[in-house]
This record gives sequence, structure tokens and C-alpha cells, in this order.
Amino acid sequence: MTEFLVDAPQVVIEAVNLTKDRLSSFLKKRTRVLDGLNLEIYAGQTYGLIGPNGAGKTTTVKLLLGLLRPDEGEAKVLGAPSSERENLAQVGFLPENPYFYSHLTGREFLTFVGKLFSLPDDLIKSRVKSLVEKVSLVDACDKPTGKYSKGMLQRLGIAQALINDPKILFLDEPMSGLDPLGRMDVRRILHELKAEGKTIFFNSHLLPDVGELCDRVGLLVNGKMVADSPVSDIAEGGNFKALEDFFLEHVQAAMHATKDSKPHAEQT
Amino acid sequence: MQIIAAIALNTFREVLRDKIIYAFFVFACLISLFGILLGTLSVGQDIRIVEDLGLAAISLIGGIIAVFSGANLVFKELERRTIYLIFSKPVKSWQFILGKYLGLASCLLTIILMMGGFLGALVGFVDPTSPANALTHLPWLALSLALVYLELLFIIASASLFSTFSTPIMSVLFTLCFWLVGHSCASLQDLAKMSTNPAVSKFFAALYWLMPDLQSLTRVRSELMYGRALTTGGGQGELLIYLTTYILAYVIILLVLSALINERRELP
Repeated sequence: MTEFLVDAPQVVIEAVNLTKDRLSSFLKKRTRVLDGLNLEIYAGQTYGLIGPNGAGKTTTVKLLLGLLRPDEGEAKVLGAPSSERENLAQVGFLPENPYFYSHLTGREFLTFVGKLFSLPDDLIKSRVKSLVEKVSLVDACDKPTGKYSKGMLQRLGIAQALINDPKILFLDEPMSGLDPLGRMDVRRILHELKAEGKTIFFNSHLLPDVGELCDRVGLLVNGKMVADSPVSDIAEGGNFKALEDFFLEHVQAAMHATKDSKPHAEQT
Repeated sequence: MQIIAAIALNTFREVLRDKIIYAFFVFACLISLFGILLGTLSVGQDIRIVEDLGLAAISLIGGIIAVFSGANLVFKELERRTIYLIFSKPVKSWQFILGKYLGLASCLLTIILMMGGFLGALVGFVDPTSPANALTHLPWLALSLALVYLELLFIIASASLFSTFSTPIMSVLFTLCFWLVGHSCASLQDLAKMSTNPAVSKFFAALYWLMPDLQSLTRVRSELMYGRALTTGGGQGELLIYLTTYILAYVIILLVLSALINERRELP
């Protein structure tokens, strides 16, 4: 008898009942920012977490990266709890509106980040060379980052997230504040990374980009995941309008539900 | 080790590429030059006045740089959100704190060496007829500078600790208070002896043992400059080793506390 062994898709990012409260600085009033999030993302997937401003998208990324500690539940990356810092060696992260050390040149900054991953000097040198080409910063890489435009900073941010050749990439609003040319550049880079088989988790509220890049999309409203679905089920052929309708329908339904029930989940 | 060296190099570059440092350097040189003018008013004490004024200038300027740079050491990373880039990599809290500290310490060493070099040249200039005489001053001068640097090492460690949990202004105030109390240790001891209330006496005695005795550093420095020999009991080398160990023990305690506080920090 011939047995066919099919590898089950590997879960690389996992959240179980992930909950986070925020305390106000003065009165220590507790506000729920993320409410029982459950999430499973498979290796090689491009996952887009969408939602209105203040829905809890950035908090989710920070919890997954161990920058915040959950109040309840658990976040795991590559099978290990997010609090274990060793795992971050296989993770790349681009924060929202990244700010880099303005006293460093692009090349110095990338070298610095490479050293934070304890990579050998010759490998850092070759990676920096290939990454500045990938993100089209060859001419600017010896200038101080303080003189970079927003688009250049974003591309440098992507380069630093890739210096360790990560298995998983977390990108927080990678297109925010970019002009159409800048967005096109970032989209091109993300398409290349997707083709390389990287797992990409990104936050955005720019639906056309999500529709074009993602395999799956999750919708977060008031800290709760209200929908999680393959993009192909929502918008065939990356139809942006269908994704927008999906977004509006679920957000409005969630808002109504919140108003109807006890207004415990405050907007952040 | 590579991570600590990378963070230290980044801090070193950040401080040395800040133009305000050079303004302070020029200011210290000008004060030292003023010593020549004052020296001409004295009788046969030219070199001593140049040395005294120069050392005081180096101590003051080094202290200002140490307090202000130390107070911003961690806070600046938080304010500019570059800390997200650090802690989304496999970097541990103690590596970050130690790297930042060593970066600032090596930067101060460079500045002290530059200012000390200028002062040494000035001493040679004051007594150009007898270079041999000027040369005899240099070992004492170097030893005094080493004690100034030892004190600065303590100041940046305490400023680093305060910068992990308070704003730069508060960190500066806390550090200055700590510094001032450190220089008034004998008064604490006297207060403990003078008080008739046993509780108050115990409190001041405890405070005396808790606070670093920076007065000893100044006393030894003065003895080096005036007496050219240490009158305190025990060998000269022995006392210097004791002082170095004493200050370094404080530095280690302060850095461990900084790392522990930073470890508990969340990055919202």
C-alpha cells in the first residue's frame, strides 16, 4: 500500500486568547486594547491585519514581538513564546513611521543592525550591499539618514528588517505616509519577498495594497477580531471595491453591536 | 559581546557627532588658557595655577557632559522610538544598558584625553625653558585626570539609572543631588555623630554607608596636585586600587539596577 504523506502547513505565528489592557497614566483607568485575539498564520502566508485607527493592530504586532506583555492569553512565534528573545533572530520588524539614528549613514545603520543579530562582518558587508540594491538606496547609503526622505526611510526600514534573512516579517503600516511612487517601490519589494517564500504579517488600512499583496486578511475592530478570511474569498482578482465593502460591512456591524451591548470596549 | 560593542560604538558616534561637545571642549580649553593669565599674577606658581584651573575645567565640563548625556542615554531611545528597533532584535536588556554605558564612557575618555592633552601642552608652554621640569608634572597630572574620569564613570552610571525611569530633567536633578550628597559624605557622618536622637543618628549613618564617598576622590586628587604624595595611610598604589574598586563596585550596582528596571519595561 502506498502512503502519501502530506506535510501539514506549519503554524509560525499564533495567538491564543491574546488580551491587553492599557492603563491611563494618571487615573490608572483600565482600557481594553485587545480582547481575546485568536490567530494562526502559516509559513509562507502573507497576512494582512486591517482595521480602523485604534483597533489594536500595532498592539497585536508588539505583543507578538514581545515588546508588550499580554494580560491574558499567549503569543507564539515559530512555536516559542514571544517573551523568548532568542527567537527574534529569525524575525524582521519594520515599525510604523520608523525613525533611525540620524547621526548614522544608511550603510552604518544597516551594519549596526547586522551586528545586533551577531552576524559575521563579511556576511553583514555582503548583505548590506545586496539590500541597498534591493531597496534602491545605492546612491544614498553613504549619506546620513537624517537627510533621507520619508520614502527612503521606509525602504531603509525594510532593508534593516531583512538584514538577518528572516523567516517572518512583521511590517507595521509599511505604506503609511508614502506617495504613489514610494508605495509602488514598497509593493515591489513585498512582492519579491513573497515570491521568496517569506511569511509576511502586515498591518495596514490601505485596502488596495492589502488586496494586492495578501493571501489572508483579518479585520480587527475595537480590539476584537471580527473577520478572518482568505482574500480570494472576499475579492476575486484583488478587487479593491469588494474588499472595501467587506471592511465597511464588518466594521459597521461591529460598531452597532458595541452600541447595542454594554459599551465596555472603549475605543482607543 | 558583538551586540554590546555595536551599541557602544553607536552611542560613541552619537555623542561625538553632536556638535555641542566641541563647544564644551573649546570652553574648557579657554578656561585652561585663562590659567596662564592668572599664573602671571602669582609668584612662581604659574604651573600650579594652570594645572588647578585646567583640572577644575576638565572636571566641570566632563561632569556636565556626563550628567546631560547620561540623563538622555535611555530616554532619547524611547522618545525617538529607536528602542523598538533594538528590542525587536535578539538584544537583552543588560546588553543594551552595558553597551550604552560603555559607549558614553569611551566617549568621555576620548574627551578627557583631548582636554588633558591640551592641558599637558599648556603646562609645557608655561615653562618652556625647562622641559624636564614640565615633564615631571605630567605623571601627577595623568593620575589626577584618571581620578576625574573615575568620578565621571560613577556619574554616568547614576544618570543612566535615573534615565531608565524618569524624564531627562528629573534625571539631571537626581544625578546632581546624588553627586552633591556624594561630595558631602563627611557631613552625613558628622550629622550621625552629632544627633542625640538614635533613630536620626542611625538614618544618617545608613545614608553615609549607602552613598558613594566621592569626597575621597577629590581629597586624593588635591593631595596629588599639592603634596605630590599621598599622606593617607597605606601605599599610594594600594589606595588608588581601593578607590577604583570602590567606584567600579558602585557602577556595577547602578548598572544592574538599570538593567533590571529596563527589563520590566513595556514598549507601548
